[in-house]
Amino acid sequence: MGQSPYIRRRILEITSVASAIIIWEIIARIINKKYILPSFTEVVTAFLKLVSGGELYRDIITSLNYFAIGMGVAIAVGIPLGIMMGWFKTFDKAVDPIIEVIRPIPPLAWIPFAILWFGLTQYAAGFVIFLGAVFPILVNTYTGFRNTPRVLVESGKVLGCIKNRDLIFRIALPAALPSIATGVRVGMGVGWMCVVAAEFFGVSTYGIGYKIWRWNDLHHMDMVLTYMLVLGLIALVIDRLFRYIVQEWWLKWQTGVVV
Amino acid sequence: MIIQPLKILAAILITGIILLSGCTAPQEDEDEPTGLTELSFGYQPSTHQIAYMAADANGWWLEDLAPYGITSTKDYLFATGAPEMQAMIAGEIDVAYVGSTPPLSAIDQGLEAKIVAGAQTQGSDLVLANDLPYESPQDLVGLTIATFPPGTLQDTVLRKWLLDNDIDPKENVTIKGMGGAEAITSLASGNVDAVFLPHPNPTVIESEGYARVVVQSGEMWPDHACCVVLVTQELIDEHPDIVEQIIRTHIKATQYIIDNPDEAAQIFSDDIGVPHNISSQSIQDWDGEWVSDPNIELDTALEYAKVQYDLGYTDKLLTQDDLFDLSFYNKVIAEMGEE
Repeated sequence: MGQSPYIRRRILEITSVASAIIIWEIIARIINKKYILPSFTEVVTAFLKLVSGGELYRDIITSLNYFAIGMGVAIAVGIPLGIMMGWFKTFDKAVDPIIEVIRPIPPLAWIPFAILWFGLTQYAAGFVIFLGAVFPILVNTYTGFRNTPRVLVESGKVLGCIKNRDLIFRIALPAALPSIATGVRVGMGVGWMCVVAAEFFGVSTYGIGYKIWRWNDLHHMDMVLTYMLVLGLIALVIDRLFRYIVQEWWLKWQTGVVV
Repeated sequence: MIIQPLKILAAILITGIILLSGCTAPQEDEDEPTGLTELSFGYQPSTHQIAYMAADANGWWLEDLAPYGITSTKDYLFATGAPEMQAMIAGEIDVAYVGSTPPLSAIDQGLEAKIVAGAQTQGSDLVLANDLPYESPQDLVGLTIATFPPGTLQDTVLRKWLLDNDIDPKENVTIKGMGGAEAITSLASGNVDAVFLPHPNPTVIESEGYARVVVQSGEMWPDHACCVVLVTQELIDEHPDIVEQIIRTHIKATQYIIDNPDEAAQIFSDDIGVPHNISSQSIQDWDGEWVSDPNIELDTALEYAKVQYDLGYTDKLLTQDDLFDLSFYNKVIAEMGEE
């Protein structure tokens, strides 16, 4: 009897993950050195220890707090700036050289200034995450606005949208939403990666990134790998949640337009 | 059908096993000593480890080790001990000049290496912002102190000293773990009140004029162990003659820097890039002492091991046999006495 595509897809996913875990366990057992590659079972043991001690929850909350600060500011800055650059050519020409100089600088390089400007606070960590997240959002917003079909703008003008404000919010912004959504999604991924760097310089004694460094300093690689996997799993949850929100609410109007 | 995913799983497993069989095939002559021609050293940008730099600058490593087949040496500079230990775990370095605490957790987790010589004792200072008064440790209550991360020597010494003075390091002060550069930036910008760092950092900070040294680590824990010379078990087992020569050269370099502090300062400046006046001042001001005898560092290193075990940083309480191999040093000293 044939199975539905959904069940087949799920079985394939589970098989793939199970295979990776089995291969990991076999390799780790052959190497037999926990400090080079902890086995899956050792990581599960470390995970259970962290969960039972309650430490992991506090680390996750701390990191999510930094992430929320960084992402919130990145969205608040990246989208308006991208709109301005995408819509007003003069503004674009004035700001673009500055953005292009700052954009390639790795967030890690900003740590001394994060300390000097924001102290050893959650805002310093948020600032490092902001730097990782803001440019994908800005660039995608800009691209979305630049690629607004001319026919939409002309049609809007014919129908009475004359002012820039109306053209931006009624015509270009809806047209650019898919691109902005992609920018936010990519920005969230990069921003979450920056959590490890953001917690590197003593802003807190909790947080997933901080614990990766701390256990690394003590060579407990099972703990390091546990926190790394937690970092990856949370990124997956955030991404799936965002995709669901975007597909179900933000871009629901698109259903039937493309497919 | 469920058969398809199972086939995929089987294919992945078979591929994995085939790949692994290549990786794990027994090597020929596994127990035979290899003909070692290159030796790799790890060290840190601290006046604590000038003995390594002096031997290197004078060409002694190559000169002294040439009779044992060594034709070249490589060195790697590490900001802290933790990555240095990871490099040793990865087989990238054979000999490490390192603080005496990073090897503890590394050995606990499986690194096969032993401390074969001492390098230096004491040599870290508590530096407090100029606008804060200091007459006794109680003046530190409520302040924020930056030092190296948990598990490091500085963190261990600072916490013990605070506890000895009835100050709870968790409740009465805030200790922030970070790298040396971040700690200095934090003090300069007023984000921490004090730092506890190894030399030459305290002298660098004092030269900037915004903070001053208030306590030296020798006052906190007299004659506490600091840096050591750590070599891999592989080197000990397969090339004991090379280990002996490393110790002879280390003893020679240590005596040289003790006898010639100004040359030592210049060697440090040339190697690390710190101005000569700063490195020279650091060597004048510090309370550190360059040593080569591992017996001097034995007791406090074992105390560190106890502290780290109590804190849960190590899974087992490490003993002298786990950490030290004194036989090489004792043999070399005995031979030198006979000459």
